[in-house]
Amino acid sequence: MRKLFLTGMLAWGLTQVGWSQVTFPRNGVYDERPGLYAFTNATIIVDPKTTLEGATLLVRNGRIEAVGKTVSIPAGAVVADLKGKRIYPALVDIESDYGMPELKRNPPGGGRGAPQYDSNKKGAYNWNQAIQPEVDAGIIFKANVQQANELRKMGFGAVVTHPHDGIARGNSVLVTLADDRENNVVIRDRVSAHYSFSKGTSTQTYPNSPMGAVALLRQTYYDADWYKKAGKTVESNLSLEAFNQLQSLPSVFEVPDKLGVLRADKIGEEFGIQYIIKSAGDEYQRINEVKATGASLIVPLNFPQPFDVEDAWDADNVTLAEMKHWEMAPANPGMLAKAGVPFALTTANLRNKTDFWANLRKAIEYGLTEQQALTALTTTPAQLLKIDNEVGSLKPGLLANFLITSDNLFSADNVILENWVRGKQYVYQDKSAPDWRGTYNLTIGDRSNLKLNITGKPGKPEYQVLVDTVKVTPKVSLTNDLISLQIQLNKKQGGTTRLTGYREGTTLKGEGEMPDGKVVKWSATLAQPFTASAAKPDSAKKTAPEYGKLLYPFVGMGNLEKPKAQTLLIRNATVWTNEKDGILASADVLVQNGKIAKVGKGLAAPAGAQVIDGTGKHLTNGIIDEHSHIALYSINEGGQSSSAEVRMSDVVNSEDINIYRQLAGGVTTSQLLHGSANSIGGQSAIVKLKWGEAPQEMMVKGADGFIKFALGENVKQANWGDAVRIRFPQTRMGVEQVYFDHFTRAREYDNAWKAYNSMSAKERAKAVPPRRDVELDALAEILNKKRFITCHSYVQSEINMLMKVADSLGFKVNTFTHILEGYKVADKMAKHGVGGSTFADWWAYKMEVKDAIPYNAALMARAGVVVSINSDDAEMARRLNQEAAKAVEYGGISEEEAWKMVTLNPAKLLHLDNQLGSIRAGKDADLVLWNNNPLAVYARPEKTIIDGTVYFDAQDDDRKRDELQKERARLIQKMLTAKAGGASTQRPTFRRQRMWHCEDVEGVMAEGEEQEQTK
Amino acid sequence: MKKITLAISLLASLNGFAQNPAPAGPQTRAVALTGATLHIGNGQVITNGTIVFDKGVITAVGNGDTPINGAERIDATGKHIYPGLISPAATVGLQEFASVRATLDFRETGSLNPNVRSLIAYNTDSEVIPTIRNNGLLMTQAVPDGGVMAGSSSVMQTDGWNWEDAVLKADDGLWLQWPGYFARSFDFETFGVSLKKNEQRQDAINALKATFSDARAYADLKNPAPKNLKLEAMRGLFDGTRCLYIRANYGKDIIEAVRFAKQMGVKKPVIVGAEDAARVVDFLKENQVPVILGPMHRLPTLEDEDVYLPYKLPGILQKAGILVSLSYDGEWWRTRNLPFQAGTAVGFSGLDKEEALKMLTSNTAKIMGIDNVVGTLEKGKHATLVVSKGDLLDMRTNVIEHAFIQGRHINLDDKHKRLYHMYREKYGQPDIGK
Repeated sequence: MRKLFLTGMLAWGLTQVGWSQVTFPRNGVYDERPGLYAFTNATIIVDPKTTLEGATLLVRNGRIEAVGKTVSIPAGAVVADLKGKRIYPALVDIESDYGMPELKRNPPGGGRGAPQYDSNKKGAYNWNQAIQPEVDAGIIFKANVQQANELRKMGFGAVVTHPHDGIARGNSVLVTLADDRENNVVIRDRVSAHYSFSKGTSTQTYPNSPMGAVALLRQTYYDADWYKKAGKTVESNLSLEAFNQLQSLPSVFEVPDKLGVLRADKIGEEFGIQYIIKSAGDEYQRINEVKATGASLIVPLNFPQPFDVEDAWDADNVTLAEMKHWEMAPANPGMLAKAGVPFALTTANLRNKTDFWANLRKAIEYGLTEQQALTALTTTPAQLLKIDNEVGSLKPGLLANFLITSDNLFSADNVILENWVRGKQYVYQDKSAPDWRGTYNLTIGDRSNLKLNITGKPGKPEYQVLVDTVKVTPKVSLTNDLISLQIQLNKKQGGTTRLTGYREGTTLKGEGEMPDGKVVKWSATLAQPFTASAAKPDSAKKTAPEYGKLLYPFVGMGNLEKPKAQTLLIRNATVWTNEKDGILASADVLVQNGKIAKVGKGLAAPAGAQVIDGTGKHLTNGIIDEHSHIALYSINEGGQSSSAEVRMSDVVNSEDINIYRQLAGGVTTSQLLHGSANSIGGQSAIVKLKWGEAPQEMMVKGADGFIKFALGENVKQANWGDAVRIRFPQTRMGVEQVYFDHFTRAREYDNAWKAYNSMSAKERAKAVPPRRDVELDALAEILNKKRFITCHSYVQSEINMLMKVADSLGFKVNTFTHILEGYKVADKMAKHGVGGSTFADWWAYKMEVKDAIPYNAALMARAGVVVSINSDDAEMARRLNQEAAKAVEYGGISEEEAWKMVTLNPAKLLHLDNQLGSIRAGKDADLVLWNNNPLAVYARPEKTIIDGTVYFDAQDDDRKRDELQKERARLIQKMLTAKAGGASTQRPTFRRQRMWHCEDVEGVMAEGEEQEQTK
Repeated sequence: MKKITLAISLLASLNGFAQNPAPAGPQTRAVALTGATLHIGNGQVITNGTIVFDKGVITAVGNGDTPINGAERIDATGKHIYPGLISPAATVGLQEFASVRATLDFRETGSLNPNVRSLIAYNTDSEVIPTIRNNGLLMTQAVPDGGVMAGSSSVMQTDGWNWEDAVLKADDGLWLQWPGYFARSFDFETFGVSLKKNEQRQDAINALKATFSDARAYADLKNPAPKNLKLEAMRGLFDGTRCLYIRANYGKDIIEAVRFAKQMGVKKPVIVGAEDAARVVDFLKENQVPVILGPMHRLPTLEDEDVYLPYKLPGILQKAGILVSLSYDGEWWRTRNLPFQAGTAVGFSGLDKEEALKMLTSNTAKIMGIDNVVGTLEKGKHATLVVSKGDLLDMRTNVIEHAFIQGRHINLDDKHKRLYHMYREKYGQPDIGK
């Protein structure tokens, strides 16, 4: 190793001529210095794996020239003896916004202001304001004395910085934290490319959802590829040009939470990019999934403050998940390290940057090793962004960015004495200051019975004067060799004695003034030097902190372990088969390997089967909700009339408590639909409510693709106020044209691809491929009968219209949802072959539902339409059995047929009736055991089973609730202790989860929204 | 009778499609319903019972031996008879289409409107009204909303030519929105709503105290000059002729609101909403304050809360001895599902069916001070009742075959039935269902 350093040093020497030229003129006489420094006798941490004792660091002209134990010191070097001190590489933060312009966020809309459909950024740039790959951090960077000093004090020497604005954010620049002109501070521009899901300061309407952001970014990758191949001849686009240039750089993706890590990685997979992901600090909650992405992370240390839980009632507003995160967040870095996830640490997201060291030490206390911490702040960030030839260690040739510390960098007593940035010294404490500590005999004038004690840390001394036996704390200032001390010698009499003086050897002496003005001489002679005697109380708290267990999902009612499939035999139940056998009395159902194995009477229990007595109980299929908006981060990408490109699968939230609540209502499968804000919505996600699994595991594998369309008042923005009268369409006339227009373009697009794909390889080499368009892809899939429409609809005219549009284009509408006037065109629907998924009895919440009637389901069903009853509502979904029963009340549908309206029929509408919706051997074991006839208002689920796995159990629910209560109590006690210990707390705020409905657009409305209006 | 109803409905559909059926005329001869299961509304059930009523008033209730004295007999064998359900805290008659401002008449501008009367806006021609009768709701409390004091409510019957005709009890109480301990705040970063401690709360309470003190002092004046309409409207709070309905949900709000009312000399405070009531059952019991629960068809308030708590709440309060009524606070068309809320409470909290029924009948009547005339099937009370095919609390069997309001035999046609029959006939489908 030493040899390597020496060789490096020689190599460096060859290229250095000891004289550097610059372009800029000087005002005054040139003052160029050799910049040659030698630091000897130090403990040098060259990198996290290499520590040299009694070594020398040689620096020339801002670069490291040599490091090692046998470095010869050239003549002319300024030598500093660092015996007892340490040298560390300066820390590196690669997620900084240092020196970037302040982002002026536009006052958030909140109301339904006039939409902005075009970019406000004038020029030959991308059509969307949130895509700004052309932003060049090097150009907009401006050094900032105050920010630089703050970071240097913390031990940072260089950062990679970029503006955190937009979905494609451009590139970043590596800069040092020196106070110098930018020419000397900028080390390398175009270091990395940056992306996020947040449109930042963009005022453009699109995208206004995370799934829209995903779609926009995907489209941009395809656009850039097309631009490279052919697009340049069609248009000039500086953004796409820049985007293509970014592709050779490491790509960093900032995400808002743990599931965002998975979402970003999915985009990367599509385009063959492994993103480095800037995470949010909650990755431990889904650590296996995060690890499986293979991504390296940039991790913040933003640990939450404890909540103020003193009031027992108010404290109920804090969720268990919030409390647990408070407890476990400091363990996040350690858990990541243990799992082998490579990561860098960042100061980003800290409430106060000054929390950095306290939080880092806390992370170490919670399991991160010091070496891992140092790695995450030096070599890992440098390697991730390929700047390890500039920063991150103390190897020869690298920037002379290093720290001189009094102690182990991570020790609580450590003081960062100096931070050298590119060979420039920044002193934070005098490293050669003598140790003044000790016990002195103090004489002030004629008073000699005094003692002065100086204790504490060398950099932070503490003073105490003993007047006889009374302890008095004086005010002292001590710099260089001067001392100034003020003391109240006699508390009763009051008055301050003021002493000023200097150090002479081990004696302090000088002159002073008594409270009465009498001038006296004083002196303090060292009687006994300081000995670090008292055992540090640190040893007591060495035990690693304890914290609670993880939950899957990370919610109060989550599971300690993900539930597993079992072999189950349900005996002697009333079984609603939904098959031609109808409702079987006293029947048995055997479940094996996640499937229904047998249905019959007197079935034998295989070995290891759990036998459930179903006597007096009813066993049915799980409820399938054709129209749901639970377990989603967002509902509408309402920025344009068509958002066929967005996928709800990008925003599935596996941590939504409504999943559990609906299991408790017997729901097992839900179609998570885009909202109804635009004529062509987004692509559905069909999920099973597997409480505890990550989003990807919830998806129904192999399900057909569906897409949400919408008609009527929502898409023509009839109830959105007067400001919103710009987007086409504003009438039902216009809605038809939106469809014709989009399908016409989709047809042309599809033909273009078909033509291209049918070319010979030779022809193709010469031809220009069509531009891949993710929106038209989805529409072409509809035309090619590979994607199916679920259309939000109300009045008969528009229902009729869409069927005619589809007929004329040669495809079928799959499902009309809501379809409250379906009964008026039920004959036409039956003829077209479209299904109807409706509410049981909703009406009167807006004009287009004035003719909605609760007999709709019965009328449609009897006309030959496949009818399902859906929720569109997190509350209603947990009693869809009751909603189905209303078809018995209104219109006299038989109980068996009514039950199919929430099970088999929605399965048919989702093309899943081959695996779901009835109790038959071979189908998925998605079952509910009820205490009563499931259509009775008195019925409640006792067990809800998906793929043979029990996800809800009424008895287990009680047990879980007890555990939840105990865990809450434990954490509350812990928080109270933390508060008593002086931790600042946050007041409990009661985060009400957003309940999504069809019409909800992110960033619009929300407060005071009328539930009734949003169906 | 079904045939008659059908004939009337067909007539109606021919004559004027978008109109409600005519209100029923006064009872002209005594009627006896026989052979039915009578759910008295006070917990009592009479199987194979007989109920007789004349001139709008119940004259006899009993078992099969009850003499009917020449009354018109309607055989209700196998049917279930219930007191007409009372729907508190509703906006039926005050709003038609939620998104059409022109049809909304329940929220006045300003924050202090005790003098505003919902009675006046109650639209007997609302097409919502006949639809709720068809699930057994024969009385609805028309309730104003908005501001701090929204105005006074009235108890209306769901049949009548006009509001004077339909009113059962005018101005039964005033509505107060209690200044919440928590205030909603909207976070534009996350587009989520959070609740924070309401910093303006004490000011709001102080202002209310001042208003109520003034009103109480004013109430002592026989002929005040100048006359203050707002304070005038509040007189009844202090002599017990009017209830004070206070909307409060959080436990602390409930306690404060009740303490405030008592301190101010309000004789009949009622808590409405009461999502968090389970926590203050002892307090409510000690203070003998009745509760009108808000919609049970809601999600739990807190993420960590018992999944079924909204369903269990009526049972928890009833078992603690609190007078409970169920409502769909602030809703209109949806109130027709009120009986199913009671059914859900039975299913999820082990509540007895007849106890649950009380929460839709006698309990509600007691709270509103109309239990002398309605709420139970007892001699001397109004013949306001329904005949159902089966269990009224279960969707499958809640099929109203007859409804009487003060003995008047109600035409059960409604817009939904008309459209049903119109299209049923178009498609040649059978006449099934209610």
